[in-house]
Amino acid sequence: MDVGNSVPAEAIFEPLLQFEMEMGTFLSEWQHCDHLSSYLARMISHNRTDPVRHSNFFSSALNELLEVSFRSGAASGHIGLAIYRHGPIERVQITFPCPAEQVPFYREAVSKVDRSDAHARYLDSISTDMAPSRESILLDLAINFDASIRIEESTLHAVTLIVDLPLEGLVS
Amino acid sequence: MSVAGLSPSFKAAFDANSQVFSLAGVIRPRSVDEIADSIAMLKQAIDGVRGVLYVDVKRLIQMNNTAFHAFVRVALDACRARADLRVVIVTSSVVGWATRMFGHLNEIEPQITVEVYDSTFYPGQSFVEDTSFIPILRTQTKMTWRHERSILPRHGLRPGIAMADVCCGIGDFAVLVQKEFQPARIVALDHSKASLAYAREVATNFGITDIEYTYGDASEMLLEDNQFDFVSCRHSLQIFNERELLLKELYRICKPGGRVYITNEKNSHCLGEPRAQSIQWTYNEVAKLFSHFEMDVELGPKSRRYLADAGFDDILVESFMVTNHDGDPQDFADVIAAWEHVYAGEMAVRRGDPPEFIQRFRQGFRDHIFAALHPKGYAGWPIWVASGRKPT
Repeated sequence: MDVGNSVPAEAIFEPLLQFEMEMGTFLSEWQHCDHLSSYLARMISHNRTDPVRHSNFFSSALNELLEVSFRSGAASGHIGLAIYRHGPIERVQITFPCPAEQVPFYREAVSKVDRSDAHARYLDSISTDMAPSRESILLDLAINFDASIRIEESTLHAVTLIVDLPLEGLVS
Repeated sequence: MSVAGLSPSFKAAFDANSQVFSLAGVIRPRSVDEIADSIAMLKQAIDGVRGVLYVDVKRLIQMNNTAFHAFVRVALDACRARADLRVVIVTSSVVGWATRMFGHLNEIEPQITVEVYDSTFYPGQSFVEDTSFIPILRTQTKMTWRHERSILPRHGLRPGIAMADVCCGIGDFAVLVQKEFQPARIVALDHSKASLAYAREVATNFGITDIEYTYGDASEMLLEDNQFDFVSCRHSLQIFNERELLLKELYRICKPGGRVYITNEKNSHCLGEPRAQSIQWTYNEVAKLFSHFEMDVELGPKSRRYLADAGFDDILVESFMVTNHDGDPQDFADVIAAWEHVYAGEMAVRRGDPPEFIQRFRQGFRDHIFAALHPKGYAGWPIWVASGRKPT
Protein backbone atom coordinates (compact mmCIF):
# COMPACT_ATOMS: atom_id res chain seq x y z
CA MET A 1 0.00 0.00 0.00
CA ASP A 2 1.31 3.42 -0.89
CA VAL A 3 0.26 6.57 0.85
CA GLY A 4 1.73 10.03 0.42
CA ASN A 5 3.52 11.98 -2.27
CA SER A 6 3.55 10.52 -5.74
CA VAL A 7 6.84 9.76 -7.43
CA PRO A 8 7.40 9.31 -11.14
CA ALA A 9 6.57 5.66 -11.75
CA GLU A 10 8.67 5.53 -14.90
CA ALA A 11 11.81 6.82 -13.18
CA ILE A 12 14.65 4.30 -13.07
CA PHE A 13 16.59 4.53 -9.83
CA GLU A 14 20.08 3.06 -9.94
CA PRO A 15 21.14 1.19 -6.81
CA LEU A 16 24.04 2.85 -4.96
CA LEU A 17 24.31 0.73 -1.84
CA GLN A 18 22.44 -1.67 0.35
CA PHE A 19 22.85 -2.35 4.03
CA GLU A 20 21.29 -4.69 6.57
CA MET A 21 21.81 -5.14 10.30
CA GLU A 22 20.20 -7.19 13.04
CA MET A 23 17.84 -4.94 14.93
CA GLY A 24 19.31 -6.05 18.25
CA THR A 25 22.78 -4.95 17.15
CA PHE A 26 21.45 -1.69 15.78
CA LEU A 27 19.64 -0.91 19.02
CA SER A 28 22.68 -1.68 21.15
CA GLU A 29 24.13 1.79 20.56
CA TRP A 30 22.33 5.08 19.84
CA GLN A 31 25.44 6.41 18.11
CA HIS A 32 24.87 3.87 15.31
CA CYS A 33 22.40 6.35 13.81
CA ASP A 34 25.00 9.11 13.70
CA HIS A 35 27.85 6.89 12.52
CA LEU A 36 25.84 5.12 9.82
CA SER A 37 24.29 8.30 8.46
CA SER A 38 27.64 10.09 8.30
CA TYR A 39 29.47 7.16 6.72
CA LEU A 40 26.80 6.25 4.17
CA ALA A 41 26.25 9.90 3.24
CA ARG A 42 29.93 10.34 2.51
CA MET A 43 29.97 7.21 0.37
CA ILE A 44 27.06 8.15 -1.85
CA SER A 45 27.94 11.87 -2.15
CA HIS A 46 31.48 11.53 -3.52
CA ASN A 47 30.47 12.19 -7.13
CA ARG A 48 27.93 14.93 -6.46
CA THR A 49 28.75 18.52 -7.55
CA ASP A 50 29.62 19.55 -3.99
CA PRO A 51 30.32 16.23 -2.23
CA VAL A 52 31.02 17.69 1.21
CA ARG A 53 27.86 19.77 1.47
CA HIS A 54 25.72 17.10 -0.18
CA SER A 55 27.02 14.60 2.34
CA ASN A 56 26.22 16.95 5.23
CA PHE A 57 22.69 17.56 3.96
CA PHE A 58 22.04 13.90 3.18
CA SER A 59 23.41 12.73 6.52
CA SER A 60 21.01 15.05 8.30
CA ALA A 61 17.99 13.50 6.56
CA LEU A 62 19.23 9.91 6.82
CA ASN A 63 19.97 10.28 10.52
CA GLU A 64 16.36 11.28 11.18
CA LEU A 65 15.12 8.17 9.35
CA LEU A 66 17.51 5.95 11.30
CA GLU A 67 16.40 7.57 14.56
CA VAL A 68 12.75 6.90 13.64
CA SER A 69 13.70 3.25 13.06
CA PHE A 70 15.63 3.16 16.33
CA ARG A 71 12.62 4.41 18.25
CA SER A 72 10.25 1.92 16.59
CA GLY A 73 10.44 -0.28 19.66
CA ALA A 74 10.97 -3.65 17.96
CA ALA A 75 14.12 -5.52 18.95
CA SER A 76 13.79 -8.58 16.71
CA GLY A 77 14.27 -8.82 12.96
CA HIS A 78 16.48 -6.69 10.75
CA ILE A 79 16.79 -3.10 9.67
CA GLY A 80 17.39 -2.81 5.94
CA LEU A 81 18.50 0.25 4.07
CA ALA A 82 18.95 0.78 0.35
CA ILE A 83 19.96 3.99 -1.42
CA TYR A 84 19.26 4.60 -5.10
CA ARG A 85 19.85 7.51 -7.44
CA HIS A 86 17.94 9.03 -10.31
CA GLY A 87 19.45 12.28 -11.64
CA PRO A 88 19.46 14.85 -8.81
CA ILE A 89 17.39 12.62 -6.50
CA GLU A 90 18.55 10.04 -3.97
CA ARG A 91 15.96 7.51 -2.88
CA VAL A 92 16.27 6.04 0.60
CA GLN A 93 14.34 2.85 1.21
CA ILE A 94 14.42 1.94 4.86
CA THR A 95 12.69 -1.13 6.29
CA PHE A 96 12.46 -1.83 9.98
CA PRO A 97 10.44 -4.10 12.26
CA CYS A 98 7.39 -2.49 13.73
CA PRO A 99 4.60 -3.86 15.96
CA ALA A 100 1.43 -4.25 13.89
CA GLU A 101 -0.49 -1.84 16.07
CA GLN A 102 2.06 0.89 15.29
CA VAL A 103 1.73 0.65 11.52
CA PRO A 104 -1.38 2.83 11.25
CA PHE A 105 0.46 5.63 13.03
CA TYR A 106 3.20 5.60 10.39
CA ARG A 107 0.61 5.43 7.63
CA GLU A 108 -1.20 8.41 9.08
CA ALA A 109 2.00 10.40 9.58
CA VAL A 110 3.04 9.84 5.96
CA SER A 111 -0.40 10.80 4.67
CA LYS A 112 -0.21 14.14 6.47
CA VAL A 113 3.06 15.06 4.79
CA ASP A 114 1.34 15.48 1.46
CA ARG A 115 -1.54 17.63 2.63
CA SER A 116 -1.87 21.31 1.80
CA ASP A 117 -1.57 22.24 5.48
CA ALA A 118 1.80 20.46 5.89
CA HIS A 119 3.75 23.68 6.34
CA ALA A 120 1.35 24.98 9.00
CA ARG A 121 1.42 21.60 10.77
CA TYR A 122 5.21 21.67 10.77
CA LEU A 123 5.35 25.16 12.27
CA ASP A 124 2.77 24.10 14.83
CA SER A 125 4.86 21.07 15.82
CA ILE A 126 7.92 23.26 16.38
CA SER A 127 5.85 25.76 18.28
CA THR A 128 4.02 23.38 20.62
CA ASP A 129 5.57 19.88 20.76
CA MET A 130 7.90 19.20 23.67
CA ALA A 131 9.69 16.55 21.62
CA PRO A 132 9.53 15.74 17.91
CA SER A 133 6.90 13.21 16.95
CA ARG A 134 7.17 10.78 14.01
CA GLU A 135 4.88 13.14 12.15
CA SER A 136 6.98 16.24 12.77
CA ILE A 137 10.13 14.40 11.67
CA LEU A 138 8.51 13.37 8.40
CA LEU A 139 7.21 16.94 7.97
CA ASP A 140 10.75 18.19 8.58
CA LEU A 141 12.00 15.94 5.77
CA ALA A 142 9.25 17.11 3.43
CA ILE A 143 9.65 20.81 4.16
CA ASN A 144 13.34 21.29 4.83
CA PHE A 145 14.66 18.62 2.46
CA ASP A 146 11.92 18.79 -0.19
CA ALA A 147 11.41 15.05 0.33
CA SER A 148 8.65 12.94 -1.17
CA ILE A 149 7.67 10.17 1.22
CA ARG A 150 5.79 6.90 0.71
CA ILE A 151 5.11 3.98 2.98
CA GLU A 152 4.96 0.30 2.06
CA GLU A 153 3.88 -2.49 4.36
CA SER A 154 5.56 -5.61 3.10
CA THR A 155 4.71 -7.80 6.10
CA LEU A 156 2.58 -7.45 9.18
CA HIS A 157 5.56 -6.68 11.34
CA ALA A 158 7.62 -4.26 9.27
CA VAL A 159 7.24 -0.96 7.50
CA THR A 160 9.20 0.44 4.62
CA LEU A 161 9.59 4.16 4.17
CA ILE A 162 10.60 5.33 0.71
CA VAL A 163 11.98 8.84 0.80
CA ASP A 164 13.09 10.72 -2.30
CA LEU A 165 15.57 13.50 -1.53
CA PRO A 166 16.36 16.02 -4.31
CA LEU A 167 19.36 17.40 -2.43
CA GLU A 168 21.68 17.89 -5.41
CA GLY A 169 19.47 20.76 -6.55
CA LEU A 170 19.31 22.27 -3.07
CA VAL A 171 23.05 22.12 -2.46
CA SER A 172 24.08 23.46 -5.85
CA MET B 1 32.72 32.54 28.85
CA SER B 2 31.17 29.28 29.99
CA VAL B 3 31.28 26.02 28.08
CA ALA B 4 29.28 22.78 28.27
CA GLY B 5 29.56 19.67 26.13
CA LEU B 6 27.73 16.43 25.31
CA SER B 7 30.84 14.88 23.82
CA PRO B 8 34.01 16.15 22.20
CA SER B 9 32.02 16.54 18.97
CA PHE B 10 29.65 19.12 20.45
CA LYS B 11 30.16 22.41 22.23
CA ALA B 12 27.83 25.03 23.68
CA ALA B 13 29.20 28.32 24.95
CA PHE B 14 27.93 31.67 26.12
CA ASP B 15 29.87 34.90 25.89
CA ALA B 16 28.17 37.34 28.26
CA ASN B 17 30.11 40.33 26.92
CA SER B 18 28.74 40.03 23.42
CA GLN B 19 25.54 38.20 24.45
CA VAL B 20 26.32 35.37 22.04
CA PHE B 21 25.21 31.81 22.75
CA SER B 22 26.93 29.46 20.33
CA LEU B 23 26.44 25.85 19.36
CA ALA B 24 29.09 23.99 17.38
CA GLY B 25 29.78 20.47 16.15
CA VAL B 26 27.45 17.48 15.96
CA ILE B 27 24.55 17.29 18.39
CA ARG B 28 22.37 14.23 17.99
CA PRO B 29 21.17 13.22 21.46
CA ARG B 30 18.78 10.36 22.10
CA SER B 31 16.93 12.38 24.71
CA VAL B 32 16.86 15.96 25.97
CA ASP B 33 18.46 14.77 29.22
CA GLU B 34 21.76 14.36 27.39
CA ILE B 35 21.85 18.07 26.55
CA ALA B 36 20.38 19.30 29.83
CA ASP B 37 23.53 21.27 30.72
CA SER B 38 23.46 23.16 27.45
CA ILE B 39 19.74 23.83 27.71
CA ALA B 40 20.28 25.16 31.23
CA MET B 41 23.10 27.34 29.94
CA LEU B 42 20.82 28.84 27.29
CA LYS B 43 18.11 29.54 29.89
CA GLN B 44 20.65 31.16 32.18
CA ALA B 45 22.04 33.20 29.30
CA ILE B 46 18.58 34.49 28.41
CA ASP B 47 17.96 35.48 32.03
CA GLY B 48 21.02 37.72 31.96
CA VAL B 49 20.53 39.21 28.50
CA ARG B 50 19.30 42.73 27.93
CA GLY B 51 17.96 43.51 24.44
CA VAL B 52 19.33 41.09 21.85
CA LEU B 53 20.56 37.53 22.33
CA TYR B 54 22.63 36.26 19.43
CA VAL B 55 22.50 32.51 18.83
CA ASP B 56 25.44 31.55 16.67
CA VAL B 57 24.94 28.20 14.88
CA LYS B 58 27.40 28.85 12.04
CA ARG B 59 29.57 25.99 13.22
CA LEU B 60 26.74 23.61 13.91
CA ILE B 61 27.48 20.69 11.58
CA GLN B 62 24.58 18.44 12.58
CA MET B 63 21.62 18.71 14.95
CA ASN B 64 18.79 16.21 15.17
CA ASN B 65 15.15 17.11 15.70
CA THR B 66 15.33 16.15 19.37
CA ALA B 67 17.93 18.84 20.04
CA PHE B 68 16.36 21.32 17.63
CA HIS B 69 12.98 21.15 19.37
CA ALA B 70 14.59 21.44 22.81
CA PHE B 71 16.67 24.55 22.06
CA VAL B 72 13.93 26.21 20.05
CA ARG B 73 11.45 25.58 22.86
CA VAL B 74 13.62 27.60 25.24
CA ALA B 75 13.92 30.50 22.81
CA LEU B 76 10.20 30.54 22.01
CA ASP B 77 9.18 30.39 25.67
CA ALA B 78 11.56 33.22 26.49
CA CYS B 79 10.18 35.43 23.72
CA ARG B 80 6.64 34.74 24.89
CA ALA B 81 7.54 35.65 28.47
CA ARG B 82 9.61 38.74 27.65
CA ALA B 83 8.39 41.32 25.16
CA ASP B 84 11.75 43.17 25.46
CA LEU B 85 13.80 40.21 24.21
CA ARG B 86 14.94 39.80 20.63
CA VAL B 87 16.76 36.71 19.42
CA VAL B 88 18.98 36.80 16.35
CA ILE B 89 19.98 33.38 15.07
CA VAL B 90 23.04 33.39 12.81
CA THR B 91 23.33 30.42 10.45
CA SER B 92 25.88 29.70 7.74
CA SER B 93 25.02 29.50 4.05
CA VAL B 94 27.37 26.50 3.91
CA VAL B 95 25.14 24.29 6.06
CA GLY B 96 21.98 23.93 4.01
CA TRP B 97 19.72 22.07 6.44
CA ALA B 98 20.43 24.55 9.27
CA THR B 99 19.54 27.57 7.19
CA ARG B 100 16.26 25.94 6.22
CA MET B 101 15.34 24.59 9.67
CA PHE B 102 16.10 27.72 11.65
CA GLY B 103 14.68 29.90 8.88
CA HIS B 104 11.11 28.99 9.92
CA LEU B 105 11.39 30.45 13.39
CA ASN B 106 10.58 33.99 12.34
CA GLU B 107 7.28 32.70 10.94
CA ILE B 108 6.42 31.41 14.41
CA GLU B 109 7.83 34.20 16.55
CA PRO B 110 8.43 37.75 15.20
CA GLN B 111 10.90 38.44 18.04
CA ILE B 112 13.22 35.87 16.46
CA THR B 113 15.10 36.79 13.30
CA VAL B 114 17.44 34.61 11.32
CA GLU B 115 20.53 35.92 9.53
CA VAL B 116 22.50 33.90 7.00
CA TYR B 117 26.22 34.54 7.22
CA ASP B 118 27.68 34.16 3.76
CA SER B 119 29.04 37.20 2.01
CA THR B 120 31.92 38.47 4.10
CA PHE B 121 34.10 35.71 5.43
CA TYR B 122 37.04 38.11 5.72
CA PRO B 123 37.53 41.88 5.28
CA GLY B 124 39.36 41.90 1.91
CA GLN B 125 37.13 39.36 0.23
CA SER B 126 35.47 41.77 -2.20
CA PHE B 127 38.86 42.73 -3.68
CA VAL B 128 40.30 39.24 -3.86
CA GLU B 129 37.23 37.60 -5.38
CA ASP B 130 36.61 40.11 -8.14
CA THR B 131 35.82 37.86 -11.11
CA SER B 132 37.74 40.15 -13.46
CA PHE B 133 40.80 38.91 -11.59
CA ILE B 134 40.33 35.31 -12.75
CA PRO B 135 42.58 35.35 -15.86
CA ILE B 136 45.38 36.87 -13.79
CA LEU B 137 44.97 34.27 -11.07
CA ARG B 138 45.50 31.60 -13.73
CA THR B 139 48.63 33.35 -14.97
CA GLN B 140 49.94 33.65 -11.40
CA THR B 141 49.44 29.93 -10.80
CA LYS B 142 51.17 29.13 -14.09
CA MET B 143 54.16 31.20 -12.97
CA THR B 144 54.37 29.80 -9.44
CA TRP B 145 53.75 26.22 -10.60
CA ARG B 146 57.08 26.21 -12.47
CA HIS B 147 58.71 26.40 -9.04
CA GLU B 148 56.22 24.58 -6.85
CA ARG B 149 56.05 21.40 -8.93
CA SER B 150 59.63 20.60 -7.85
CA ILE B 151 59.18 22.01 -4.31
CA LEU B 152 55.99 20.13 -3.40
CA PRO B 153 57.52 16.62 -3.09
CA ARG B 154 59.98 17.95 -0.49
CA HIS B 155 56.96 18.98 1.59
CA GLY B 156 55.23 15.61 1.38
CA LEU B 157 53.12 15.63 -1.76
CA ARG B 158 53.25 12.23 -3.45
CA PRO B 159 50.96 9.97 -5.49
CA GLY B 160 48.18 8.07 -3.79
CA ILE B 161 47.60 10.37 -0.82
CA ALA B 162 44.46 12.17 0.34
CA MET B 163 44.79 15.92 -0.11
CA ALA B 164 42.77 19.06 0.57
CA ASP B 165 43.39 22.38 -1.14
CA VAL B 166 41.83 24.95 1.17
CA CYS B 167 41.03 28.36 -0.35
CA CYS B 168 41.43 26.76 -3.78
CA GLY B 169 40.15 29.84 -5.63
CA ILE B 170 39.60 28.99 -9.28
CA GLY B 171 40.92 25.48 -8.68
CA ASP B 172 43.79 25.51 -11.16
CA PHE B 173 46.37 24.42 -8.57
CA ALA B 174 44.23 21.36 -7.75
CA VAL B 175 44.05 20.49 -11.46
CA LEU B 176 47.83 20.79 -11.85
CA VAL B 177 48.41 18.68 -8.74
CA GLN B 178 45.97 16.05 -9.96
CA LYS B 179 47.73 15.79 -13.34
CA GLU B 180 51.27 15.82 -11.96
CA PHE B 181 50.99 13.87 -8.69
CA GLN B 182 47.83 11.73 -8.98
CA PRO B 183 46.70 11.84 -5.35
CA ALA B 184 44.01 9.29 -4.49
CA ARG B 185 41.64 12.05 -3.41
CA ILE B 186 41.55 15.84 -3.70
CA VAL B 187 39.00 18.01 -1.94
CA ALA B 188 39.21 21.65 -3.05
CA LEU B 189 37.37 24.17 -0.88
CA ASP B 190 36.63 27.83 -1.41
CA HIS B 191 34.13 30.43 -0.24
CA SER B 192 33.53 31.98 -3.66
CA LYS B 193 30.72 30.29 -5.58
CA ALA B 194 31.80 32.13 -8.74
CA SER B 195 35.36 30.81 -8.43
CA LEU B 196 34.11 27.28 -7.79
CA ALA B 197 31.82 27.39 -10.82
CA TYR B 198 34.82 28.43 -12.89
CA ALA B 199 36.92 25.70 -11.27
CA ARG B 200 34.39 22.99 -12.13
CA GLU B 201 34.27 24.20 -15.72
CA VAL B 202 38.06 24.16 -16.05
CA ALA B 203 38.25 20.65 -14.56
CA THR B 204 35.57 19.43 -16.96
CA ASN B 205 37.42 20.96 -19.91
CA PHE B 206 40.55 19.11 -18.83
CA GLY B 207 38.57 15.88 -18.53
CA ILE B 208 39.20 15.79 -14.78
CA THR B 209 36.23 14.48 -12.85
CA ASP B 210 37.69 13.39 -9.54
CA ILE B 211 38.36 16.69 -7.77
CA GLU B 212 35.74 17.28 -5.07
CA TYR B 213 35.07 21.01 -5.22
CA THR B 214 33.15 22.29 -2.23
CA TYR B 215 31.79 25.61 -1.03
CA GLY B 216 32.81 26.45 2.50
CA ASP B 217 34.37 28.79 5.00
CA ALA B 218 38.00 27.84 5.60
CA SER B 219 37.78 28.85 9.24
CA GLU B 220 34.89 26.47 9.95
CA MET B 221 34.95 23.63 7.46
CA LEU B 222 32.48 20.77 7.25
CA LEU B 223 35.43 18.41 6.65
CA GLU B 224 36.04 15.87 9.39
CA ASP B 225 39.09 15.62 11.64
CA ASN B 226 42.31 13.79 10.66
CA GLN B 227 41.32 13.09 7.04
CA PHE B 228 44.14 14.33 4.85
CA ASP B 229 47.82 13.46 4.37
CA PHE B 230 48.50 16.83 2.77
CA VAL B 231 46.63 20.10 3.23
CA SER B 232 47.59 23.06 1.08
CA CYS B 233 46.52 26.65 1.67
CA ARG B 234 48.19 28.96 -0.80
CA HIS B 235 48.33 32.77 -0.67
CA SER B 236 45.44 32.79 1.77
CA LEU B 237 46.73 32.97 5.32
CA GLN B 238 47.99 36.45 4.43
CA ILE B 239 44.54 37.73 3.47
CA PHE B 240 42.61 36.27 6.41
CA ASN B 241 42.23 38.40 9.51
CA GLU B 242 41.66 35.35 11.74
CA ARG B 243 44.86 33.50 10.90
CA GLU B 244 45.05 31.39 14.06
CA LEU B 245 41.51 30.13 13.45
CA LEU B 246 42.35 29.14 9.90
CA LEU B 247 45.54 27.33 10.98
CA LYS B 248 43.58 25.51 13.67
CA GLU B 249 41.21 24.22 11.01
CA LEU B 250 44.06 23.17 8.70
CA TYR B 251 45.61 21.33 11.64
CA ARG B 252 42.30 19.68 12.53
CA ILE B 253 41.63 18.13 9.11
CA CYS B 254 45.25 17.00 8.64
CA LYS B 255 46.08 13.41 9.65
CA PRO B 256 48.62 12.95 12.43
CA GLY B 257 51.92 12.61 10.56
CA GLY B 258 50.51 14.51 7.59
CA ARG B 259 51.67 17.95 6.51
CA VAL B 260 50.09 21.37 6.08
CA TYR B 261 51.64 23.39 3.24
CA ILE B 262 51.23 27.17 3.05
CA THR B 263 52.55 29.79 0.64
CA ASN B 264 52.60 33.51 1.33
CA GLU B 265 54.25 36.67 0.08
CA LYS B 266 56.34 39.50 1.42
CA ASN B 267 55.19 42.19 -0.93
CA SER B 268 57.70 44.81 0.15
CA HIS B 269 60.39 42.48 -1.26
CA CYS B 270 59.03 42.67 -4.80
CA LEU B 271 61.83 44.17 -6.83
CA GLY B 272 62.98 45.29 -10.24
CA GLU B 273 65.79 46.88 -12.17
CA PRO B 274 65.86 49.48 -13.64
CA ARG B 275 63.77 51.95 -11.61
CA ALA B 276 64.32 50.02 -8.38
CA GLN B 277 63.57 52.93 -6.04
CA SER B 278 60.11 53.70 -7.42
CA ILE B 279 59.24 49.99 -7.45
CA GLN B 280 60.35 49.51 -3.85
CA TRP B 281 58.39 52.55 -2.65
CA THR B 282 55.19 51.26 -4.23
CA TYR B 283 55.49 47.75 -2.78
CA ASN B 284 56.21 49.12 0.68
CA GLU B 285 52.96 51.02 0.26
CA VAL B 286 51.20 47.83 -0.94
CA ALA B 287 52.04 46.23 2.41
CA LYS B 288 50.61 49.21 4.30
CA LEU B 289 47.51 49.25 2.10
CA PHE B 290 46.73 45.60 2.77
CA SER B 291 47.36 46.12 6.45
CA HIS B 292 44.66 48.81 6.39
CA PHE B 293 42.20 46.10 5.26
CA GLU B 294 43.41 43.65 7.94
CA MET B 295 45.53 41.60 5.52
CA ASP B 296 49.23 40.86 5.98
CA VAL B 297 51.01 40.50 2.65
CA GLU B 298 54.32 40.59 4.58
CA LEU B 299 53.51 37.24 6.17
CA GLY B 300 55.83 34.98 4.15
CA PRO B 301 58.85 34.92 6.51
CA LYS B 302 56.51 34.69 9.52
CA SER B 303 55.28 31.28 8.32
CA ARG B 304 57.61 29.33 10.62
CA ARG B 305 56.27 31.14 13.67
CA TYR B 306 52.65 30.69 12.66
CA LEU B 307 53.11 26.97 12.03
CA ALA B 308 55.03 26.46 15.29
CA ASP B 309 52.40 28.34 17.30
CA ALA B 310 49.68 26.19 15.69
CA GLY B 311 51.36 23.02 17.02
CA PHE B 312 53.19 21.69 13.96
CA ASP B 313 56.65 20.14 14.14
CA ASP B 314 59.32 19.34 11.54
CA ILE B 315 58.70 22.74 9.95
CA LEU B 316 60.32 23.34 6.58
CA VAL B 317 60.58 26.83 5.08
CA GLU B 318 61.98 27.89 1.74
CA SER B 319 61.43 30.70 -0.74
CA PHE B 320 61.51 31.20 -4.46
CA MET B 321 61.42 34.19 -6.76
CA VAL B 322 59.01 34.36 -9.66
CA THR B 323 60.71 36.51 -12.28
CA ASN B 324 60.18 37.96 -15.72
CA HIS B 325 62.56 35.28 -16.98
CA ASP B 326 60.14 32.49 -16.01
CA GLY B 327 58.45 31.94 -19.36
CA ASP B 328 56.99 34.91 -21.19
CA PRO B 329 57.89 38.32 -19.62
CA GLN B 330 54.52 39.58 -20.80
CA ASP B 331 52.83 37.19 -18.33
CA PHE B 332 54.72 38.86 -15.51
CA ALA B 333 53.78 42.30 -16.86
CA ASP B 334 50.10 41.28 -17.12
CA VAL B 335 50.07 40.22 -13.47
CA ILE B 336 51.54 43.53 -12.34
CA ALA B 337 49.04 45.45 -14.48
CA ALA B 338 46.22 43.56 -12.74
CA TRP B 339 47.70 44.37 -9.34
CA GLU B 340 47.84 48.05 -10.30
CA HIS B 341 44.19 47.91 -11.35
CA VAL B 342 43.00 46.39 -8.05
CA TYR B 343 45.47 47.90 -5.55
CA ALA B 344 45.67 51.44 -6.94
CA GLY B 345 42.37 51.57 -8.82
CA GLU B 346 40.15 50.06 -6.12
CA MET B 347 41.78 49.51 -2.73
CA ALA B 348 43.61 52.85 -2.48
CA VAL B 349 40.47 54.62 -3.66
CA ARG B 350 38.42 52.77 -1.04
CA ARG B 351 40.95 53.81 1.63
CA GLY B 352 40.44 57.41 0.53
CA ASP B 353 43.94 58.10 -0.74
CA PRO B 354 44.50 61.46 -2.53
CA PRO B 355 45.02 61.47 -6.33
CA GLU B 356 48.69 62.48 -6.05
CA PHE B 357 49.39 59.47 -3.83
CA ILE B 358 47.56 57.14 -6.20
CA GLN B 359 49.50 58.55 -9.15
CA ARG B 360 52.85 57.84 -7.45
CA PHE B 361 51.52 54.46 -6.28
CA ARG B 362 50.59 53.54 -9.85
CA GLN B 363 53.99 54.64 -11.14
CA GLY B 364 55.77 51.94 -9.15
CA PHE B 365 53.69 49.22 -10.80
CA ARG B 366 54.34 50.75 -14.20
CA ASP B 367 58.06 50.82 -13.48
CA HIS B 368 57.87 47.18 -12.42
CA ILE B 369 56.26 46.38 -15.78
CA PHE B 370 58.96 48.47 -17.50
CA ALA B 371 61.64 46.41 -15.73
CA ALA B 372 59.88 43.15 -16.63
CA LEU B 373 59.73 43.99 -20.33
CA HIS B 374 63.12 45.71 -20.55
CA PRO B 375 65.56 43.65 -22.64
CA LYS B 376 68.15 43.90 -19.88
CA GLY B 377 65.69 44.21 -17.03
CA TYR B 378 64.91 41.97 -14.07
CA ALA B 379 61.66 41.89 -12.14
CA GLY B 380 60.87 39.65 -9.20
CA TRP B 381 58.01 38.53 -6.96
CA PRO B 382 59.16 36.49 -3.95
CA ILE B 383 57.08 33.70 -2.41
CA TRP B 384 57.66 31.88 0.89
CA VAL B 385 56.75 28.21 1.10
CA ALA B 386 56.39 26.51 4.46
CA SER B 387 55.03 23.23 5.73
CA GLY B 388 54.69 21.61 9.10
CA ARG B 389 53.92 18.08 10.27
CA LYS B 390 51.02 17.39 12.57
CA PRO B 391 52.51 15.41 15.46
CA THR B 392 51.50 11.75 15.72
